[in-house]
Order: sequence, then structure tokens, then C-alpha cells
Amino acid sequence: MSFVVRQIALKSSGEEIVRRSVVEAAELVIGRDASSGIHLPDLAVDPRHARIRAIDADTLLIESIGDQPFTVNGRSTSQTELEIDIGAELAFGGHRITLAREAESGLPAFTVRRVEAVSESAEAIDLGSAYTLQKLLPGKRLSAWGFAALMLIAFLAVPIWSWATYQPLALHKDARRPAGLHGDTAWSSGTLSTAHKNLGGDCQACHVQAFVAVRDNACMTCHKTDAHQHIADGGRLLKARGEPTGFAGFQRAVASAFNKPAGRCVDCHTEHEGAGAMPATRQQFCTDCHDGMKSRLSDTKIADAADFGTAHPQFRPMLVTGMQGDKPLLQRAVWSGNLRENTGLKFTHGQHLSKTNGVAQMVRRRAGEFAAGDALGCKDCHQTDSGGARYKPVEMEKACQSCHALTFDEIGGTFRTLRHGEPEQVVADLRAAFRGGTPPRPASLSGMARRIPGNAAMQATATDYARAVHFYPMQADQAVAQVFSKGGMCYDCHNVGRNGGAGTAGFTVQKVAQNGRYYNKGWFDHKDHRKSDCATCHVKAATSNDADAVLIPGLEGPGGCRSCHVGEGGAKLASATVKEPVASGCAMCHEYHMDSGEPWKPADKRKKPALLTATWGAGLHKPRHPATQR
Amino acid sequence: MATTPAPAPATRRRTGGTRERQSTHEGFLVHRSGRWIKISATLAAALILLYIFVPLPPQHFGSSWLGYTLGTVGALLILWLTMLGMRKRAITPGGWSLKAWTSAHVWLGVLLIVVGTLHSGFAFGWNVHTLAWALMMIVIVSGIFGVTAYATLPRALSANRYDAEGAITEKQMIEALRSLDRQLHDAAQPLDPECAHLVGRSLEQDPFTGSIVNRLTGRYPQDETRKAAAELRRLRAHRPRLADDPLDKVDALLTRKEAMLARMRRHLRLKGWLQAWLYVHVPMTFALIAALSAHIVSVFFYW
Repeated sequence: MSFVVRQIALKSSGEEIVRRSVVEAAELVIGRDASSGIHLPDLAVDPRHARIRAIDADTLLIESIGDQPFTVNGRSTSQTELEIDIGAELAFGGHRITLAREAESGLPAFTVRRVEAVSESAEAIDLGSAYTLQKLLPGKRLSAWGFAALMLIAFLAVPIWSWATYQPLALHKDARRPAGLHGDTAWSSGTLSTAHKNLGGDCQACHVQAFVAVRDNACMTCHKTDAHQHIADGGRLLKARGEPTGFAGFQRAVASAFNKPAGRCVDCHTEHEGAGAMPATRQQFCTDCHDGMKSRLSDTKIADAADFGTAHPQFRPMLVTGMQGDKPLLQRAVWSGNLRENTGLKFTHGQHLSKTNGVAQMVRRRAGEFAAGDALGCKDCHQTDSGGARYKPVEMEKACQSCHALTFDEIGGTFRTLRHGEPEQVVADLRAAFRGGTPPRPASLSGMARRIPGNAAMQATATDYARAVHFYPMQADQAVAQVFSKGGMCYDCHNVGRNGGAGTAGFTVQKVAQNGRYYNKGWFDHKDHRKSDCATCHVKAATSNDADAVLIPGLEGPGGCRSCHVGEGGAKLASATVKEPVASGCAMCHEYHMDSGEPWKPADKRKKPALLTATWGAGLHKPRHPATQR
Repeated sequence: MATTPAPAPATRRRTGGTRERQSTHEGFLVHRSGRWIKISATLAAALILLYIFVPLPPQHFGSSWLGYTLGTVGALLILWLTMLGMRKRAITPGGWSLKAWTSAHVWLGVLLIVVGTLHSGFAFGWNVHTLAWALMMIVIVSGIFGVTAYATLPRALSANRYDAEGAITEKQMIEALRSLDRQLHDAAQPLDPECAHLVGRSLEQDPFTGSIVNRLTGRYPQDETRKAAAELRRLRAHRPRLADDPLDKVDALLTRKEAMLARMRRHLRLKGWLQAWLYVHVPMTFALIAALSAHIVSVFFYW
């Protein structure tokens, strides 16, 4: 059998060179071996890869010699029959062999062509890009636009869409977005304060309109009741602030140009400052108006104030000037060291706090009943109220009575006391007590016994009894007068008058007024001063023996607030000596939205206040029965 | 600006080894005696002093006058810095040389760290504002990396291209590989199918193969040439040595191909690092401009 083998090689110009040879053999071997009938210099081809032999004149059989398959008409096989007239395409490694019947000779002809380069490196390589990262990374242009689009969609389009979706919820107190992630929360510049934490992702609760700075109406949606106006007349507020000048004026103009009006709630109450309480309002927000306010608001009654350390007007405590019925008459006065008020009481702070006199001796005798063992202390009488900010009025029954007992009689071991605060009952009780007439007659002086001369003891008893009868206050009015007059129980502490009615035997006791709060415009909190001794501020308490003297400290002087408190920035007067300065902004004592309560301030990071005073009934200073001290 | 060589000390012998190389070249980093580094350093110091000493609210620094000013300056600076991409494509005559522009780009870019960070008032969170800051920092850090790469890698690139026979170009590297492949192809013809297959796999592997990781680390664990050489040596280890073993030649050729590939891959690695930072720098710049736009719009939207 003869086979025609046509080897086709390519010139560098692309032209084909055909080398025709005729192989005379029973079978035609295809392989890398040079002796093969069809020699394929291809490393993917076995040295003897396959062989072809004729079955008949029209059919050839091709089969693998080893176990390496080959491809016939695109399908891998290791043995197949080939119709010469139909032809076939065989593939071995990088070579393609086409079978056809040669027209001239009528022999089966195999046209061999190399279709793959010898090696990958021999393929065309674009020098411009091969040494770059172009094929390894997404293009710079593509990723630039991709990332930019991603940013614009995620952080601009989606948030605006969120805002638009929930816009109808704005200005509704309890309208809340459904739980979940909302696009515009990505715009939040910081966590909301604790007070507004529940607003969560409800951006539209405050940010109502696009490109419109947060307005007060958004705040007032919820704060209908608790946001008190500083003063009712907003016009005066603006006048007091005055027009900013210089750089401040420029800033104001820029803010106005960017649609950010002044005087909004959020000017002071800044948000998105992080979790926790809202930060304290800075002094500047107060002094913008109050510093030199007289010049802008000439009719104001409020004195100019700026920094506490250097420019605060003297305090004006509210004093009790007298009584009108049951109500005390109050009047403000500029603080000075010798202010007096009309309490209606007689009390000697100095005498009671002495460490050397009879009061102190009595305390020493009654060990364990008073806070300190050697003398009376402030808290033996003065007790803080439940909040700890101020003191409760001193109550006679709790504070005084253990020493100043109102006992007037003993019957069968039971002591009878006068009723405190009820002069009519006092008079009535005394009159009833003295209705009986004589003191009880001693048994030894029985009416039947005769007097025996020489019985001195009996004689003495008789004489004593006679004297007792003589001196026994037969007249109740005499006892009443004694109680209400100098040296009497009432008179010791109260101002007694003589213009009373018959029920009180003509006597009157002046109503007592105890001043619960001297400084009503500022907030003073005893709780915050619990670490200081009372005498640090109430310097005259240890020596004053006048119950009407005002022992409340003022701005300056010994015990004055400026002894410790300096301005927000630490400023103080040259005359002031401050050992441990406490920086004090306006908001420490004053509140913008004035109400009767404590000014709002950020939570104190210090420990909770310890109880200022021992509680009543804990065995300490319990009102004892006065008879035991007789 | 060292145009005139400084006279060497009289005591020193003027030999080739000790003579200092004098160059009139002045890189873009120190253009005009470091004009832009001085300007940037002065501005940075001034801004930091302003930040420290100007009395401003402790909260929300970004919305104070200095904060807004820094923000505006920063945003305009970002846009101007981005313009380098346009400027370098435009051939323009005149005073602002591309070198001056690049010098300003680099040093004002570094200054942007101060401007942007002070603008933030050091208040960071998971929001679009910090995102813009973070993208800005990514762009700047990648830029600093790029400058460092430009300052150091070309020397290594040159060293790699030079050998005893002189420099080799990128084209010559490919030609050398092609030549070695052809020789391998011919030399491997007498081999048995198993060995021929191994050599064939080396030939079929693209010399530029590998991912970005392979490219930048210079490690190619799937390298067929090294595998072929190792495997052929293993197969040969227990065979009797023949005088004219075709494997000898194949082995020698594979060793040469390995060496050539190693050199080319070092070249690719260095070139890769010279280019890779731009694949961060440029796309992140556009991401930054988009995030910055979102940041600005959001501030005014929720005013």
C-alpha cells in the first residue's frame, strides 16, 4: 500500500512550502520518531503514536500503538476506521493531519500541518502590555468609576431615598421608622446622647427638611412641656444678645448665607457628640447676652454677669421679713455680712455649738445620743430634705425637745407635757392641772394623829407640808403666766406678745418662719458640698447668738462661694485666694429653661452622695423622756 | 542645583573609587531646593498651631469656622491633586513644569493628612464622614508608597537587567526565552513520552503566567520549568550514565531557562510594584471624590 504524505511548512512571509513524499509500506506509523512514516516533531506525540493500515481500497484503520489516544474529527479515540473518499481530520498534539484521496494518483494523501507554535513563548506577545499589570488587575478606569458609583449609590442615593421614604413621619411625636438599617444613618456624625437615644435611626425626627438646618419646631414636637422659655419676650432676647461684630459678625453672616439662623435650640444643645449625657452648655452662651446687657437692654433689672470668678453681681438672698397670717413675707436684699431676717425664734447657735459650756457637758453625759460625743453638731438639729439639696425646717419635737422638755407634771410615773405649737391647749392643760387645789397630804400627817412633842421628824413633815400648801400654785393663771414669761418654757425660744385672746390668757406666740431657700434664682445644692464642713461656708454659725442673723454665705468674704469657685476658665479676682479652685460655668448654678428644679447638668461622675445626716430613730438623739434628766 | 562640582578636599586622593558622582539631576521630591516640602511643612505647622491655640468649641470641630475652612481647603486641595492626572497628559509650555507640579502634588498631598485630620477634629465613627477620611488616607498612603517605590525600585530594576554580557531589554528577555524553548523542543525530540511530556509542559506554560499575587511576590509554585527540571533529574538519578544522553542537553537548557525566567520574574515583580500602587491610588481617588461629595451633600442635606 502506498500513502502520500504532504508536509506543509510556513515561511516567515506566511507562504506555504509543501514537501510531498510517497511512503510504500503495509502500515503508516505516526510518531515523533524520525523513522515514522508521518514524522511529527512534537513533544506531545509519542515516538510511535499510531499506525494506519488499509482494510480495503476505500477504508483505512487507524489505531494507537501505545495507550495515548488521538483526535479524529474533533473526537478523542484510540482506534477508528477512516473512509478515504469522505476524508478525515486527525489531530496529534500541535499537528493537524488531513486525509483525502489525491486526485492525480488516487492514493490516500495525508496533509500534515503544524497548527500550534513550538512553545507558548513563541506566540505573539504584546510588549506594550506583557510587562504591565493590565491583564492581572481590573482597569484603573473601570475600578475608578465602579468605586465612585458605589460610593454615590451607597452614601448619597440610598440615604436620600431613606429620607424621602420616611419624610411623612417628621414632626410626629411617636412616629418611628421600622427597625432595621436605614441608609441615612450612615450620615450620622456621631452617636446621639442618652436623652435622644430612643430616636435611634429616625433622622427625620430632627432633620425635617432637606437643606434646612434643624428648627425649633422639631424639638418642640416632643419637648412641649419641659422646654421653658428663658423669657417670654423673644424680641428682648434678641436685643439683649445684640448684633455680633467683627469676626463673629462675619461668622454670623456666613451662617445666615448658608441658611443657618441663630438662636435655635440646637445652638446650645449640640447633638451627635457621642453616647452619654449631652455636654454642658458653655458659659459663652450665657455671657453673649448677660455680659454688658445693661448697655443693650437699659431697662433690665438683672445685673450684668459674665465670668463667675471675676464678673458676677453680689448675691441677693430672699429673706423673711415677717409674717402675714401663716405666710412668711419674703424680700430680696443684697447680701452683706450682717443681714438679718425675722424668724420669730430665739436661738443661740454659738451657745449650742460650744464645746466647753453646759450644753457640751450635757452632750458628754448622754454619750451615744448625739452625732459627736463632745458637743452638739449641726446635724443634731438640721436634717437634709429627701433630695439632699436643702435642709428641712428644724422641728421642735425632733431637734429641741430632748433637752428642752415641756414636762409640767407627773402622775403615777407618767409625765405630762405641754402641747408644742398649741398655746390654747397649753393654757387649758395648765388650768386643768391646777384645778385640784392642794398637793397630796403625806400619810404620816393623817388627820386623826395628834402631835406628839419631841417628834421632830413629824414636825418637819408638817412644816414642809404647810410650806408646800402655801407655795403650791393654787392659781392656774399664775402657772400660765410663768410659762409665757421670761424664764418660762415658751419664752425661752419664742417671741411672746400680750395681745392674745382669752383662750391663751392674753398671750400670743409669734409664728415661726424658717427660710428653706435663700437663693431662688441660682441653684445651690448641699449634696454637692457634702465633703465640706458646714463651718467652711457658714463661718459665723459657731459664734452667732442671734437667731435672726443670716448665716448664709455670700459671693465673697470668708466662706463665700468664690473661696472655691472660680470662673469657667479658672479666672478669679486678684484679691481672692483660692486653694482648690472649682471651675464654675454659669450652668453649674443657673438654668436657661428656668423651673423650680435643679439645673440640668451632665451626670456627675463622682460617687453617689452619702447620706448627709443620720436618719431619725436609729437610736441616735432619740427624744427621751425629759423626766430622766431631772 | 549642584551644577558646579565642589572641590574635593586636598588631602583626599582623587581616585575613581572615592570621587563623588556629581549630578545636575534634581528629583521631583527636592525640586527647587525642596520648595514644596518647605511650603507644606510650614503650612502643616501653622495649621497644627491654629488647631491647638484658636479657642473653639470642644465638640463638633468640623462645624466651627476653622473646621469649615479646613474642610473647604481640603476639598479644593483634593480636586487640585487629582488634576495631576490631566496635567501630566497635557503638554504645556510655561512656568509650571510638570516636575514642579509633581513636587507640589506630592508634598501638598502629604499636607492633606494634616488638613483632613484636623478637619475631622479626631472624631471618627462608622459613617460617611470617616469613610471619606479613610479613603483620603488610603490614597495618600498609596501615594507615599508610590513615591518610595519610584525612589528605590528603578535602581534594583537596572541591577537586575545588567549582567556580564551587558544590559538586557524586555524584548530580549522574550527572545531569549523563545530561543531556549526552540532549543528545548529540538533537544527533547529523542526523549521517551514521559520525559517529552514534562518538557512539553514547560514549553506550553506562558512565561507571563501567574496571578497578581505571583507577580508581586515573585513566587511561582506552579512553575512547570522547575518541575520539569526536578522531575527529569529524579528520573535520571538511577539511570546509567550514557555518553550522549539527550537528557544532558535538555537538563542544561532547562537550567538556563529557569535562570532566564527568574530574572524576568524579578523584573516583573519590580515593575509590578512600580505600577501596583497606582491601581489603588487612582481608583481610590475617584472613590474619595465620590465619598467626599456624599460627605458634603450630607452635611448640608441634614444641616
